[in-house]
Amino acid sequence: MTSVLIVDDELFIVELYRDILQLRGYRVVGTAFDGEEALRKYGNSADKPDVIIMDHRMPVMNGVDATKEIIKLNPNQKVIFVSADVLVEKEARDAGAVEFLPKPFRMDDLIEKMEKISNLR
Amino acid sequence: MTEMQVDIEQQKQLAFYMDMLGHDILNSNQAVLGYLELILSTSITDKAVRKYVEKAVSHIRTSTILIENIKRLMAAREADPNSFKPADLMAAILRSERELRRHYPDKKVSLSISPRIDEAYVLGDSAAENLIFNLMVSIVGLDRNEEIELSLMLKEIDCGGRMCWSMTVEDPNARLPPAMKDKSIDAVYQQDGSTAVKMAGLLFVKMMAVSLGGDFDAHQLGKTEDEGSTFVLVLRKAGKP
Repeated sequence: MTSVLIVDDELFIVELYRDILQLRGYRVVGTAFDGEEALRKYGNSADKPDVIIMDHRMPVMNGVDATKEIIKLNPNQKVIFVSADVLVEKEARDAGAVEFLPKPFRMDDLIEKMEKISNLR
Repeated sequence: MTEMQVDIEQQKQLAFYMDMLGHDILNSNQAVLGYLELILSTSITDKAVRKYVEKAVSHIRTSTILIENIKRLMAAREADPNSFKPADLMAAILRSERELRRHYPDKKVSLSISPRIDEAYVLGDSAAENLIFNLMVSIVGLDRNEEIELSLMLKEIDCGGRMCWSMTVEDPNARLPPAMKDKSIDAVYQQDGSTAVKMAGLLFVKMMAVSLGGDFDAHQLGKTEDEGSTFVLVLRKAGKP
């Protein structure tokens, strides 16, 4: 079962992803509300998530910086970047994100990208 | 601080607030859209309930487009027109046709294109592509039927000494407000606030088309609003990238 870490500063967005991903059979192994918390939880976890869903505009540390730091720890980590800022796509991909979705997106599109990554494993 | 500096600072502050508001609204739209999709994916047996949910999806998508349009217009205002890159017109039209089905899950929209042109490029990059989608969304929004047939015609024209592509879309059932019978879009918007609210999508198309060096207008096909409407978008021709 594919495991996921959800990173977004809005609780209602975290809950949305969690509700839908769990219904679709994914294992949500953690949530974080800013980039720094995501980095800390990622570094401390023995069982790394298969996929990280990463927002950009968050307090303390944004999604691009968090992605860069996580990729430094594990260059093979798969990050799906999701943001309402479409202009940040290039930065996100340069930081190491393998996929980008502009908010709001169809949840089927997220699932499609999750499946694509799961099949690569 | 000079008057001009104060003005620039105020504009920057406004842009910042608009950006923050837009971001938060898009986040809320994400949640609503996600849960609506969740409801649609369950086995709703009642056709009427499914229809209501599909209508809600359309409205959320429209709300999203409105926010994105504000962001795009603000970006276009600051852009140098000479920096625009070519956009593939036919590809944008075909993509818009596909996206329309997602946008209006409760309607059946078909598009006939004449002639189909292999190579047609316009200036404006993703802004031009988005403009075409916005135009289609606005037209379908003006048509009350569930089955909608649009005719799209393309031709090269001279526009003020430059070569342009003219894209005319006709919908025999799209109803423009009576005030638009013999007036241009901008004149109607300035005259009647309620019309402006109802047709914000068309105003965006006009503003963006002009900012890309082109133009846009819409008229009734016949003498009454029941006889359909025609929409003409003109964009500057570009060479193949």
